[in-house]
Amino acid sequence: MADSPILSIRDLRAKVAGQDIEILHGVNLEILHGEIHAIMGPNGSGKSTLAKVLAGHPGYEVTGGEARFLGEDVLGLGPDERARRGMFLAFQYPVEIPGVSIANFLRTALQARLGTDEELDLFDFQEELLQRMELLEVEPSFAERPVNDGFSGGEKKRSEILQMAVLRPTLALMDETDSGLDIDALQVVAKGVKALHEEDAGMSVLIITHYQRLLSYIRPDRVHVLVGGRIVRSGGPELAEELEAKGYEEFRPAVER
Amino acid sequence: MAEAAEATGVTWVASGAAGAASEAGSGGSAGALPAVEGITAAIHRGAVEALAADEPTWLRDRRLEAWSVYERTPMPTTRLEEWRYTDLRRKLKLDRLKLLPWQSRKFEASRAPVALVAAMAADEAASGHVIEIDGAVAQVDLLDELRSKGVILGSLRGSVRAYPDLLEPLLATEAVPATLGKFQALNAALWTDGTFLFVPSGVRLDLPVRVSRWFAQPGRAVFSRTLIVAEAGSQVSFVDEALSSDFAEQTFVSSAVEVFARDGAQIQYVSLQRMGWGAFHLSQQRTIAQRDATLDTLNVSLGGSVSRVDLSAELRGPGANSDMLGVYFGERDQHFDHNTRQDHIAPNAKSDLLYKGALDGKSRGVFRGIIKVHKGAQRTDAYQTNRNLLLSKHARAESLPRLEIEADDVRCSHGATVGQLEEEHVFYLMSRGLTRPQAERLVVTGFLEEVLSRLPLGGVVEKVTGIIEERLRG
Repeated sequence: MADSPILSIRDLRAKVAGQDIEILHGVNLEILHGEIHAIMGPNGSGKSTLAKVLAGHPGYEVTGGEARFLGEDVLGLGPDERARRGMFLAFQYPVEIPGVSIANFLRTALQARLGTDEELDLFDFQEELLQRMELLEVEPSFAERPVNDGFSGGEKKRSEILQMAVLRPTLALMDETDSGLDIDALQVVAKGVKALHEEDAGMSVLIITHYQRLLSYIRPDRVHVLVGGRIVRSGGPELAEELEAKGYEEFRPAVER
Repeated sequence: MAEAAEATGVTWVASGAAGAASEAGSGGSAGALPAVEGITAAIHRGAVEALAADEPTWLRDRRLEAWSVYERTPMPTTRLEEWRYTDLRRKLKLDRLKLLPWQSRKFEASRAPVALVAAMAADEAASGHVIEIDGAVAQVDLLDELRSKGVILGSLRGSVRAYPDLLEPLLATEAVPATLGKFQALNAALWTDGTFLFVPSGVRLDLPVRVSRWFAQPGRAVFSRTLIVAEAGSQVSFVDEALSSDFAEQTFVSSAVEVFARDGAQIQYVSLQRMGWGAFHLSQQRTIAQRDATLDTLNVSLGGSVSRVDLSAELRGPGANSDMLGVYFGERDQHFDHNTRQDHIAPNAKSDLLYKGALDGKSRGVFRGIIKVHKGAQRTDAYQTNRNLLLSKHARAESLPRLEIEADDVRCSHGATVGQLEEEHVFYLMSRGLTRPQAERLVVTGFLEEVLSRLPLGGVVEKVTGIIEERLRG
């Protein structure tokens, strides 16, 4: 497993469902076991679209290419099937679901992953949940509150990382997790992701971000620049710093092609 | 300060101005019509006379007077605002119904219907328990300790002889008298049995009183009454669960519910309607809250082919408070009609209504609510919210909140929404590994949870959530 990629995207094209405007014009990307990658790019470059398409959001339609997760093309699978295979999307804008507590649906999600043959151990679950809440510096009552209902921006992002910590994905897609976070919340979130990655070195992470600041806490193995629906440049962590200094201006012509 | 509709498809009727058209509440004066509607081979004066034959004069007179009101009140039609969406000519086959005469019944657990036994087994401990089978009380239990404190829990029929001083002034007089309408009159004339609960001053019941009512006979009309009196400073919660088999021929169950909370008393009244297919359940409730009393209600409508609730909450004393909660879940061609009234007579009183429904299949939900603030009811706080979640494109919801305000120093609001399941919510949960049905179930139960969480009462929330989850599972 260590040698074969966790995620392998080839010539992925996608558009908004029901519209003719293609947003991803052939994305290629390979993430190996345990690697942390970052995708950076200006607004409107297709970063979030890529995350949503990988997670199976019904608002987008794949028009070409493939995305293999653990060797299997997942583009034909439902979002729940992808999640049960170990994919996780931390939302840029987590929705508020009244009346559904984090604990309740995480329990349901873990049980769904186990299938019908195995019963989730509720004591283990509670213990794990409490531990994870401690890591992310939230009150124990946090998990009893309805998902994101009345949460501050920082709480919503912590809730996303808490869910990730409990669900322990093989591949975490983090869609602009750093946006709308103050520096304290950013540090907590980064600490959480780092701890998870250290705990389970097999977890691969794809960080989607506009800014470099999260990457100064979580050092990526690879950085890709997505502009106009294509990856126009890839490099090591130093690329993120370069982008932070120079901006995306030099890639503009790429859009025109 | 009316709230804006959040979603499409909402029907919106509002009249905030004083002196708007009054409710068609009293049917007693409609003497102009010669029609004697609703008299059938089974439902006629003779039936009332037979029922009243051995009863005390006051009751016999009351039944016959109620019958006269019934006779001179026309059958409600869809021309009346209150019955606009429930067409009785189509939904109620009165002339096909036979009466279910009262007969002495005993409850035997070993021979009881499985559904009734299961429903009772799911309940937590109670202060008292009444089992009613086909309109006759079959068993009454009450903790001795409460009996010795003067609490009365019994069959209404038996209480007529045992407690005439308590019943005569209150039975079908103040709360749900015959003059309220055609079916209030019919129930007052033809009721066979029901529950009487009396809690003396200052007595507080830690555990709820439970009533389990079971209806098994097809093609029948059953009339049952509930009378609850909580004297000053007392406290009680009451859970009435109605269950039935499925009926090939329509069975009509009429329940009249009268609830009195005297000064400073606290009452929680819960109606849990789980009738089978083919049942028409009509529940006509009136709650009267006196000075500083708290009188909260929760109507859970899950079963029946047609379910109609008329709830009128009267805030009669200053400082009175009523939370009015409702939950309905419909599927197939179920029809729910909730008709509520918040009647603010005294100043400084508060009422807060929240009714939420999820509708699947071809089911239909109607909510019509009015806040009426009478002259002199200054510093009233009255709120009313109805929210509907449509789970299929064939389900429909009508929501008609209304305000009528005759006082000038009040805080009132009303709002209504009809919306669909949000695909973003479903996707969010599915992205965590929940299947689509699991995700939808969670969103729906979460939607209703807001109501149920406001009335935390031993086991009711869990029971209702469990039933809805099972129904969603199909």
